[in-house]
Amino acid sequence: MASGEVTARIWRGGTEGHFQEFRLGYRHDQTVLDLVTEVQRRHDPSLAYRFACRVGMCGSCAMTVSGRPRWTCRTLVADVVDKGAVTLAPLTNLPVIRDLVADMTPFFEKWRKAGGRFEAGETPAEAFSTITHDDPARRAVDAGIECINCGVCYAACDVVRMRDDYVGPAALNRAWTLVNDARDAGGPARLAQVAEGGCLACHTRQRCAQYCPKGLNPTEAIAGLKRRVTAAALKGEL
Amino acid sequence: MERLQTDILILGTGGAGLLAALHAFDADSTLDITLAVKGLMGKCGCTRMVQGGYNVAIDPRDSIERHFMDTIRGGSWLPNQDLAWRLVTSAPARVLELENQHGCFFDRNPDGSVHGKPFAGQTFDRTIHKGDQTGIEIINRLMEQTLARPIRRLEEHRAVSLVPSADGARIAGVLLVEMASGALRYVEARAVLLATGGGPTMYRYHTPSGDKACDGMAMALRAGLPLRDMEMVQFHPTGLLAGEDTRLTGTVLEEGLRGSGGHLLNGAEERFMLDYDPRAERATRDLVSRAIYDQIRRGHTTPAGGVYISMKPLDPADVRRQFKGMVERCADVGFDLAAGLVEVVPTAHYMMGGIEVGLDCETGLAGLYCAGEDAGGVHGSNRLGGNGVANSTVYGGIAGEVMAAALRGEDGARTATDEAALAAAAERVLYPFGQPAGDLNEIRLGLLDLMWDEAGIIRDADSLARAAAGLAELRGRLEASGLGDQNPAFNLTWHDWLNLDSQLEVSGAIVAAALARENSRGAHFREDFPEEGALETSAYTRVCLAAGGLETESVPVAFTRVRPGESLIPEEMVAE
Repeated sequence: MASGEVTARIWRGGTEGHFQEFRLGYRHDQTVLDLVTEVQRRHDPSLAYRFACRVGMCGSCAMTVSGRPRWTCRTLVADVVDKGAVTLAPLTNLPVIRDLVADMTPFFEKWRKAGGRFEAGETPAEAFSTITHDDPARRAVDAGIECINCGVCYAACDVVRMRDDYVGPAALNRAWTLVNDARDAGGPARLAQVAEGGCLACHTRQRCAQYCPKGLNPTEAIAGLKRRVTAAALKGEL
Repeated sequence: MERLQTDILILGTGGAGLLAALHAFDADSTLDITLAVKGLMGKCGCTRMVQGGYNVAIDPRDSIERHFMDTIRGGSWLPNQDLAWRLVTSAPARVLELENQHGCFFDRNPDGSVHGKPFAGQTFDRTIHKGDQTGIEIINRLMEQTLARPIRRLEEHRAVSLVPSADGARIAGVLLVEMASGALRYVEARAVLLATGGGPTMYRYHTPSGDKACDGMAMALRAGLPLRDMEMVQFHPTGLLAGEDTRLTGTVLEEGLRGSGGHLLNGAEERFMLDYDPRAERATRDLVSRAIYDQIRRGHTTPAGGVYISMKPLDPADVRRQFKGMVERCADVGFDLAAGLVEVVPTAHYMMGGIEVGLDCETGLAGLYCAGEDAGGVHGSNRLGGNGVANSTVYGGIAGEVMAAALRGEDGARTATDEAALAAAAERVLYPFGQPAGDLNEIRLGLLDLMWDEAGIIRDADSLARAAAGLAELRGRLEASGLGDQNPAFNLTWHDWLNLDSQLEVSGAIVAAALARENSRGAHFREDFPEEGALETSAYTRVCLAAGGLETESVPVAFTRVRPGESLIPEEMVAE
């Protein structure tokens, strides 16, 4: 049972391409992912898009929906239809593979480049840490740790668009959780890794925080990194 | 066809695949290790989707023996006891490794100890977790550790065939489709790990990630390997019941909702679980699913044809905090989980069955190993919530070490590939391009309804016969259907076809095993054989794809550690 009709303008092709229009019915509980699925199953079997979990846990299905990056699996069509239309394109700031599929390789390469992984040190601890959730540093970890690396913030960021070497909000958000993780052995080297081409490049436009589907605040994490980097530089640690 | 050589090829990047890669690399960093995955690393598949948590006996008041007995009893005495024992004894070290080597940070009690929550079917609150997003925490940390090591990644590479050596003595490699270009790529490997995960996506309501199609089990069947316990498909009691045309339908609302005190209500908003089991909502998944299915068959349903879950016995603020992810997901489709009623339906969740493996993850094909949901034997007839991610991470790590050790003992020579088998596999994967466009979605819907209605929560000989006939008919339709798009690059319709190919293959194994088991255990309920049968003579089903079709046999369970009626828990041993 349709609760409305929509003209979906969908990107076709690679970096070069065009928008193709489809006239579709939709129901109140259908998501944008359901809409592109409908196109591929019933209108044009050649439409390429990416998805996996379908419930907002993997972030594979992020696209540009009427100009704004978002998860399509958790975005209701009814919430984004404007004047009877919706425009769908791949995530920006990334190469395009085909149609709605972006190449996420640069995003993860920058995650790695920003030191985005726990360092256990020479001898990993042999007992569980007893750090509770009241601990201020752990609160900072908990605030940012639920990032699912969907790339929405990366696509939203102006600095990413302007600077190839900028690692982007998600990688810096992860670095901030590591800096606050008392168990991590990364030490001052972490800060050196995220200074140039990292937190110091951020213009604080806050689009990452505005668009994060998890409600995380990478801008705040980046601000925290800037303070630590500055303090470390003054102490001569960098 | 492009060819690539590697030492260890790992199929899948869930908990099993990533831990295998990390353990193999850390055991011998000179090995060339390749990870191949159908989607993006760690993003597709189901480990990431674990909401509940990880069962592990680390509390001093708990014990390994207690975890073991819960697993054996939960599986109604069908588990391979040595596999279950290795699981429970290895889990504490694996959890410590996840925390202190890979960086997971599980939730704590106010005193700083690791918090365990109550989960159905368990006699101790041993399910450790990170909020209700445990899988995300585990997979993200493992993904980062993998990125930081020189491990080759073949993302969006779909495995389509296990290719034997020319002498047939062992596996020689795996044929893959590079999805972005559509090109075929053959990876020769000295050892291969099958860790693609199961995922019963052939049922009308199902929870797994949308990329799941039982590819691993289908490849194993075609390679002639024996699968066990295939009739044991776990239905999670509480899948979200939204509309038919939304991919959100069937997605799981986590077990902790019932564990922490949520109620199930029928269409008349009456609680019914106490009519079925004294543990009520905290009974095991199989019992709760069957009770809900019974309510549905009696017509005591909600408007959309399911039942309600109500968290009203709890403080809404607590529910919002404790089950944040669930509350948000329900809100997206218009349900208030914390203070209202949400429509739910049992949903196919997990396959207890899988490839028969040994204690070191070895299979019947030399060089091929298997871990995680692709492997059978740990869970028997019913998996406890929280034992899934424990299983994949424990055995994935073991597989990595075992493969590294096995290769250290060899001279490094590769086995020649059975080129005819490789050519046949390549021809088969391209087959749908040669057929006229068909309506794959109709075939898919036919399969979903067939398996739900005839081989689902309650079965009998007649319904299973209808299922077998229906599968044959759907197979005929699939073979006559092509794609309507000849460009192989990121061609989802081609992959829909290949998904159906795998799902039909594995559905056949489920139906054959369900017909063979003439009693009712755990997740398998035969209305024509409702008794569980004598526990002392418990047997598991084995199914193989032979030249003449599927063959089943019944194999006695070896009670290597404990016999029915006995216990390994000290207090219970005294009581006997």
